[in-house]
Amino acid sequence: MRHAPKLPPAGRTITRDVYETFEHTADLGLRAVAADLDSLFAEAARGLFSIIVENLDQVEPQCNVSFNIEGSDPAYLLFDWLNELLITFDTRHLLFAEFDVHVTDQGVQATASGEQLDTNRHHLDHEIKAITYHGLSVVRIDNGWQAEVIVDI
Amino acid sequence: MPGTKFQGKLEQIDACCWRIPRDYKPGMRVDGLIYADERLIDHIKADQAPEQVANVAFLPGIQGASLAMPDIHWGYGFCIGGVCATDPDEGGVISPGGVGYDINCGVRLMRTNLSEEEVRPRLKALVDQLYRDIPTGVGRSGKYHFSTDQLRELLRDGVGYLRSRNLATDDDLECTESNGCIEDAQPGYVSDRALQRGTSQCGTVGAGNHFLEVQVVDRVVDPAKAEVMGLQAGGVCVLIHSGSRGLGYQVCDDALRMLRDAPAEYGIDLPDRQLVCAPINSPQGQRYLGAMRAAANYAFCNRQLLMWQTREVFERIFARPWREMQMQLVYDIAHNIAKFEEHQVGEQRKIVCVHRKGATRAFPPGSADIPARYREIGQPVIIPGDMGRASWILAGAPGSMAKTFGTTCHGAGRAMSRTASIKEARGRRIDQELAAKGIIVRGRSWKGLAEEQPKAYKDVDIVVDVVHNAGLSTKVARLRPMGVIKG
Repeated sequence: MRHAPKLPPAGRTITRDVYETFEHTADLGLRAVAADLDSLFAEAARGLFSIIVENLDQVEPQCNVSFNIEGSDPAYLLFDWLNELLITFDTRHLLFAEFDVHVTDQGVQATASGEQLDTNRHHLDHEIKAITYHGLSVVRIDNGWQAEVIVDI
Repeated sequence: MPGTKFQGKLEQIDACCWRIPRDYKPGMRVDGLIYADERLIDHIKADQAPEQVANVAFLPGIQGASLAMPDIHWGYGFCIGGVCATDPDEGGVISPGGVGYDINCGVRLMRTNLSEEEVRPRLKALVDQLYRDIPTGVGRSGKYHFSTDQLRELLRDGVGYLRSRNLATDDDLECTESNGCIEDAQPGYVSDRALQRGTSQCGTVGAGNHFLEVQVVDRVVDPAKAEVMGLQAGGVCVLIHSGSRGLGYQVCDDALRMLRDAPAEYGIDLPDRQLVCAPINSPQGQRYLGAMRAAANYAFCNRQLLMWQTREVFERIFARPWREMQMQLVYDIAHNIAKFEEHQVGEQRKIVCVHRKGATRAFPPGSADIPARYREIGQPVIIPGDMGRASWILAGAPGSMAKTFGTTCHGAGRAMSRTASIKEARGRRIDQELAAKGIIVRGRSWKGLAEEQPKAYKDVDIVVDVVHNAGLSTKVARLRPMGVIKG
């Protein structure tokens, strides 16, 4: 994928936060790696919108939307976070490219910045039907965190 | 193919069927059975789809076997192409994963009295007009908007509601599975968020593998059955593939969330989180069933409105009323759904809950639950293939009742992942390749077409051979595409 720098091999120090997509027969996998949970959730969100829109770099931070998600299991929190973003896109046609995320023991507080979908400027790519629980994981790796999730296309 | 190769036990029973024995994994309550032939089985073993067939065999109350059709491929939780029947009286469960996010994703075929020769000269204008008038792709709203109260009526009454709005005929209702309305739908169990997503998406195609195709009957295999369905060689048809759009996805998502703790509450041990379920006879199970039926009714209405808009486009392009062009619905059938049906299990007749996830009902001749006009020939089954080769019309056969809870395959099944398909298509123009074969395709992006290119799918002719030879459904006619619109 265009927005997917190579992930660091296992055992190597994470020098920057990254996301990439990986194969799943009829659907798509999304993997993010980051130094801490806050960055991991932001990176996964960028990954999500890179699947929805081809030219994510053309999405301007013109408006902010706040999210407040309760929970403590990191995998379910990631699921709920990505799901809220997806539903906001589906119902309000808002695309997001920047994310300020705080993950605590009680949940996620986040602000997503983006703008209204404009099909003249934004090249839509996939319709994501849903975030799935299949293969959903948020795990510690050397010096950081890794998240994996399969999205239904 | 992605994922690791399946290396578990797989025993050949006959030319069309393979077994994963119950002792493959502790926790399996029944065998797994995969309908496939020598040409397909290696492909099926290339990823973890057979493992998913084995996992479904863990579900409480499962009857007979955990079944998979020849178009099986790796899904999430359930494989795509999976069938699972559960008995409510034996603690049987309902699992939203056994239906899928796109509740009542399905297909409908409409015939016309137009011939390929009549349509070919206007084909480009026709496909362009379809693409302009019928919303496809991400973020497109339809021309039909429903208030929350209207939407609730639509969810309860299905296509009957559209008939009351003069957007469907009696014939349309009769030729839709369950007359376009699954009874006992509970719109009250559909969340506000799902309703919000459903307000303006009824009558839109969506994206992914959904499409609307102008097709021509390429070959009639069973002339008597084809005649009853109004199909003849050279005749033009329209095939529509879509589902319940955002409303259905939200109903599934709400249910999975509601059921997160249900397996622990009911002491159900599951090998995959995506298989979450609850007993049919539990408050959670009933809640999901009521909402799922409502979403299924939305999907019938979505395809009805897509067909209605198609009739309007044909009227505009061919300058005569659709009735004059005899644009009649042949049949509309779900391939992501759970329904209560009576089946023979061992020595007993039982009411079981049949989950069909990427699988199609295929009731044989004589079934009470199919329209009178098809009762002598069996229920029409519509199998979409890929946009370059073919689709098939089959008829339900007695073998389906004996072997697969009245079920057959639902499509060609993917042969390549989306990522692999894009890689394979690099440097090619799929639209031009199809144009060279006389097929006009309109889609939003190169990538979208690359992911859905013909090679990404198995050869539907082979898949259909298996279900025909296994006696699950019999071949009636082969259709080939002329024009395609995609999201």
